[in-house]
Amino acid sequence: MSLVYVTNVTKEYANGEEMIRPLDGVSLSIDEGDFVSLMGASGSGKSTLLNLIAGIDQVTSGEIVVAGTDITKLSRGKLADWRAAHIGYIFQTHNLIPVLTAYENVELPLLLLPMSGAERRKRVEIALEAVDLTSRVTHYPRQMSGGQEQRVGIARAIVANPTVVVADEPTGSLDDETTEQILQLLERVNNELSMTLLMVTHDADAGSRAKRKIRLERGKLMENGKDTKTAQLRTA
Amino acid sequence: MFKFIPYILKSLWRHRARTLLTVSGTAVALLVFCFIGAVQQGLLALTATEDAGRTLIVFQENRFCPQSSRLPQDYERTISKITGVKDVVPIKVFTNNCRASLDSIVFQGIQPEKLKAWRDFDLQSGDFTSFAAQDDAALVGVDIATRRGLKVGDKFTIGDVSVVVRGVFQSATAAENNLVFTQLEFLQRARGANEVGTVTQLEVHLNDSADPQKIAKQIDQVFKTGPVATTTRTKGMFQADTLADLAELIGFVHWLGYACVGLVLSLVATTTVMAVQDRIKEHAVLQTLGLRPSRVFALVITESLLLSTLGGILGVVGSTLLLSSSGMSVAAEGVTIAFEPSFVLAIQGVLIAIVVGILAGIAPGWQAARTEIVPALRHA
Repeated sequence: MSLVYVTNVTKEYANGEEMIRPLDGVSLSIDEGDFVSLMGASGSGKSTLLNLIAGIDQVTSGEIVVAGTDITKLSRGKLADWRAAHIGYIFQTHNLIPVLTAYENVELPLLLLPMSGAERRKRVEIALEAVDLTSRVTHYPRQMSGGQEQRVGIARAIVANPTVVVADEPTGSLDDETTEQILQLLERVNNELSMTLLMVTHDADAGSRAKRKIRLERGKLMENGKDTKTAQLRTA
Repeated sequence: MFKFIPYILKSLWRHRARTLLTVSGTAVALLVFCFIGAVQQGLLALTATEDAGRTLIVFQENRFCPQSSRLPQDYERTISKITGVKDVVPIKVFTNNCRASLDSIVFQGIQPEKLKAWRDFDLQSGDFTSFAAQDDAALVGVDIATRRGLKVGDKFTIGDVSVVVRGVFQSATAAENNLVFTQLEFLQRARGANEVGTVTQLEVHLNDSADPQKIAKQIDQVFKTGPVATTTRTKGMFQADTLADLAELIGFVHWLGYACVGLVLSLVATTTVMAVQDRIKEHAVLQTLGLRPSRVFALVITESLLLSTLGGILGVVGSTLLLSSSGMSVAAEGVTIAFEPSFVLAIQGVLIAIVVGILAGIAPGWQAARTEIVPALRHA
């Protein structure tokens, strides 16, 4: 059984009078515990697909089922609740809340879940320890380096123990050394915490660290040079 | 939602200059609103009390300023005999300024026993016996005492009238806190004049069953052919007529109160719109983490509410302190309107601030809640 099913998904949007179709009948499935990299040229639709799976964008047609829920059928409010419970999102530009400390940023997703203060504290401490940032809990984003900010972003993404962690170019704004640290951290998230990870990247080296590599070309998914129908067979 | 209060407070603190300006602007507007409200309440208190409807004021016909009304004091005896009249209080009035003024001093000369019987006040300092025993003694209203820094034993002079303070009183009627009570005969003899036997007005207290309008007509009828014709009205009507010009002005000024509310609305709404536009991406991040659009709306409303309510509370507290410490009033023709702070007005001010805060947050809150996440995440 796969955890994520993307079935015949098309995404269109208007850019002035022109209709853009970044995704054209894409199908994909992702197994639980997998680490999938999604690569492709700029504008190939990889971030669009990631955003659709994360439930922050709407499909034009098709179906996306994550952990048994067809998220294309959910209202905005229900989708938000679903994201809080099932998705951990790692942004390229970290997107930490500037007025909150590292601790408070990591705690944010937990505020949306029914949880006691003690449980929240425990989880935040574990997440910050996992990204090796226990010494920076009271620091604000402006007081941290880019790599530290991204580690806080990763802690924030994993703290609620989500069903899927999605990462949109997580190393896109980092230097080589920090990129390596972040990729190692993502591998640990996948291996040690057994979290399913979907990472969008344009960096072939970063993409190669994943267990499974998928490319998006002209709105179609290609895996190992084959189209997504074959990819689907792999997980059937 | 309460879990997000630290985030809201920190967001407001992040732009503290903007927050401070909005809060102070709101505070000033609410201060003006409450100040105007206090003036209106003062006017209402003069005309809407039970005493205002059941006490008559007899004044010389066609006279406006107290100094120009000279009634024979023995009218008191004639009026006392009319059925339904409980008591008559002859009063000599002297004021340093007959026109509308923020610093009018109004002296009322009243016989001590009548003063004790018909004025409801507590002496904060001094004693009534020494007032009654000394010709040039005065009991000073607490607002005048505050304004002029007067205390028991002080001597003060207005125009040619010099008195010695023998007591400072707090009246149940706010307007009376701006009066100076002296003995009747002292004021009749003041300024070198000998006006013993004439008074400015007669205050007629009625029995519960008496018809004020009927008795007023009866009094005027009796003196129509006397040495001095009279005009008799209820105290409320007398004060309303005397202050008619001021009342019109105050009626106009109350629109300024509404303008202040509009000002707060636009000020808080502008700040909230700016705050939302500054945080388009931040709100998108929060929604990505799982914050419902309705909660984003609530966050924005709460922020706007906090700004407005904080400003409102400061404005209300400021106006209350200002009004109670300054004892301000406006007087015309010897009738005083006290600028009176009140609990009702304070609650009204805070409630207005709360409602305005909610209204000001609706449009920006709606905008923040309806923003599409993906384009907002790309926002610089």
